[in-house]
Amino acid sequence: MVALLVRLKLTLLRNSLRRSVWRTVGLILGMVYGLAVVAAVVVGLIALRFTTTALTADVTVVAFTTLSVGWLLMSLLVFGVDETVDPSKFALLPVRSKDLLPGLLAGGLVGVPGVATVLISAGLIITWARTPALLAAAVVAFPLGVITCLLLARASTSAFAAVLASRRFRDLAFVGIALLGVSLGLGGNLIGAFASSDAGLLRQSLANLALVAGWSPFGWAWMIPADVARGQWLYAGIHLLLAAALVVVLWRAWGYLLAARLTSPVETAGESRKVRASSWVERLYPATPAGGVAGRCLRYWRRDPRYLAGIAGFMIAPVIIIVTQLANPDGLPELAAFAPALVGWLVGISIAQDLSYDGSAVWLHVSSGLRGADDRAGRIWATMTVYLPVTVLLFLAAFITSGEWGLLAPVTGLTAGLMLTGLGVGSLVGALWQWPAPPPGANPFQTSNTGGLPAVLSFTVTSFGTLIVCAPTIGLVIWSFFTPWVGYLALPVGLVSGFVVLRIGITQGGRILDRRWPELLKAVSEKAG
Amino acid sequence: MTSALSLVGLTKSFGQKRAVDQLDLEVRRGCMFGLVGPNGAGKTTTLSMATGLLRPDAGRAEVLGHDVWTDPAAAKGLMGVLPDGVRLFDRLSGAELLRYVGLLRKVPLADIVTRSAELLEALSLTADRDTLVVEYSAGMTKKIGLACALIHAPRLLILDEPFEAVDPVSGEGIRSILRNYARGGGTVVMSSHVMELVESLCDELAVVAQGRVLAAGTLDEVRAGSTLQQRFLGLVGFTAAGEESLAWLRSSSDSS
Repeated sequence: MVALLVRLKLTLLRNSLRRSVWRTVGLILGMVYGLAVVAAVVVGLIALRFTTTALTADVTVVAFTTLSVGWLLMSLLVFGVDETVDPSKFALLPVRSKDLLPGLLAGGLVGVPGVATVLISAGLIITWARTPALLAAAVVAFPLGVITCLLLARASTSAFAAVLASRRFRDLAFVGIALLGVSLGLGGNLIGAFASSDAGLLRQSLANLALVAGWSPFGWAWMIPADVARGQWLYAGIHLLLAAALVVVLWRAWGYLLAARLTSPVETAGESRKVRASSWVERLYPATPAGGVAGRCLRYWRRDPRYLAGIAGFMIAPVIIIVTQLANPDGLPELAAFAPALVGWLVGISIAQDLSYDGSAVWLHVSSGLRGADDRAGRIWATMTVYLPVTVLLFLAAFITSGEWGLLAPVTGLTAGLMLTGLGVGSLVGALWQWPAPPPGANPFQTSNTGGLPAVLSFTVTSFGTLIVCAPTIGLVIWSFFTPWVGYLALPVGLVSGFVVLRIGITQGGRILDRRWPELLKAVSEKAG
Repeated sequence: MTSALSLVGLTKSFGQKRAVDQLDLEVRRGCMFGLVGPNGAGKTTTLSMATGLLRPDAGRAEVLGHDVWTDPAAAKGLMGVLPDGVRLFDRLSGAELLRYVGLLRKVPLADIVTRSAELLEALSLTADRDTLVVEYSAGMTKKIGLACALIHAPRLLILDEPFEAVDPVSGEGIRSILRNYARGGGTVVMSSHVMELVESLCDELAVVAQGRVLAAGTLDEVRAGSTLQQRFLGLVGFTAAGEESLAWLRSSSDSS
């Protein structure tokens, strides 16, 4: 049964690769990336052999506990139920859950994350192979730790299968991951800033962290060699018992949940989400076609997780810059003051991909004979409604925290210039290139369709085109570093040139749309894969 | 009097495959017109080209005298369209979607409000007006799509498989809406592969296969004394498994 299920998983993997070249490319990229991570971690673990056992203990416990937590979080948020060998697909077959368990567990090892985890965990043995006792402890910890990782993923996804299948959860998870990315970037930078200021403090917090991690269920197995290294044999015994007990409990729990799923396969619950018939969005814009487009887009900014994740994504860089430059005593407050300009620069990209996000639903624009310019203008209104307050907030945050009020004119000029230009360029580019994007609510990590050449063109031309078109304003801002009064020129130049570009973007982009609506419809609705 | 819909020499190829081949069709005003054909006959492709969603390789499409491809604004303003197999802006509620279509179609705001309420009521969607369309069942999605096609009071309705996945009760509701609409001078062109439906609802029809019109005219003309089902099968070249081809089966059961 084990061999059969592992073979099934391999066959499914091979068939999915045969379906599209991009999947193969994706798998190879994943393998290269996974291999690089494994190599880096193993080199790090070998390097730890040249340090003290105390440091090795703290580092390995924290790192491997993170690995276990990662398995839990990633399987819950990103991968969801492993759909290739979904247990409910076995519901029609005469098999018992306890026959399936070992095979499904082994199947979990097939794939980049599984193999990488085994290799990385094997590195634990290398780093602890210092005395026979430590080696023995590591050899015991290795399988316990790996099996705990796999069981955590399986048991949790089986337990929450019904929740994971619901669309609302997927939407939330999508935004959650984007925010997690922001906080990880921030956290990493902050830790870096602190580490450079006080190494002793860092060492102490690592030790504290290791203590907490080691006594949490995720760290029980990984703590065994660390206890032995400290000579705390009693604790080692306790951790061994706890880790073994955890494996047994998780195994039992998973078996129970699996048996339940075999008799009652999860079906996506028919949720019925009502919206409040709010009219403020409708009053915000005029009752014209362009106003209709704006209102519809604004609602999508709130209801479509792709847009929410987009906002989070665009905010990462400026927030990181502001926080790190101010948290770091050697930072540049001037740089923090200019951070809002970054959002201005990136907004155009969002406009450029807007039509692709609509997918085949855009037939409505085509068949209702909507003027291209109305389509462009409506989307810009909605984007402005979302990003203007966000940018103003970022602006205030940047200036109040940095105190660089002397830079107000050039920063305003640059931000406004980049934003207006970006929207103009994005409107034009968005009319030129579209691609079939995964629909809202689809798990973006299960789609290997990245949009291909049009997406790359759209992104590159928008971001660089904005910089080129906005060159006069950018030039003035750079000049103002040497001759400060020039900064006051940047403001009117940025605003005026920006509005001109925006105007051209709307009319010309609209004209392109009027010419190629049917071709556009074909481009966005091509089947993925 | 100009036709409600006039297709002349419409042609479209996808790669090697010729999906629609020199197709001609005239639909007179005030008519319920059925477009029937087997799967892959080119019905959806034809309707897409007639509604301005797909650019034809050759040929013309005119709606009440306005060319869809040279004067799209006028032609599209007269048409209400329900395509098949495309998404809607489904993160809007039913009421929001109707309002959106109304605004795109430049319907006065007061009319949008009253017409939406009436359409939702007629299609028994009032209880779900504030539910997101993505949560709708397939039948409900068809119905809200039909409401979207009607909100600007078009002169010509083009419906691709309007009854698919619609339950019998709602189906009867849609029928009466369409009959009233045609009685009021409107023209309906709908595709279907359910012969009984076309037979009970349409005045005229065309049988399409392999991108060509095989027969067109009033129901009686096309039926030519037979049932529509038999005539249709004959036209598309399906030779029913007759008595002889079943003979071996019968004889084997006899012999045993």
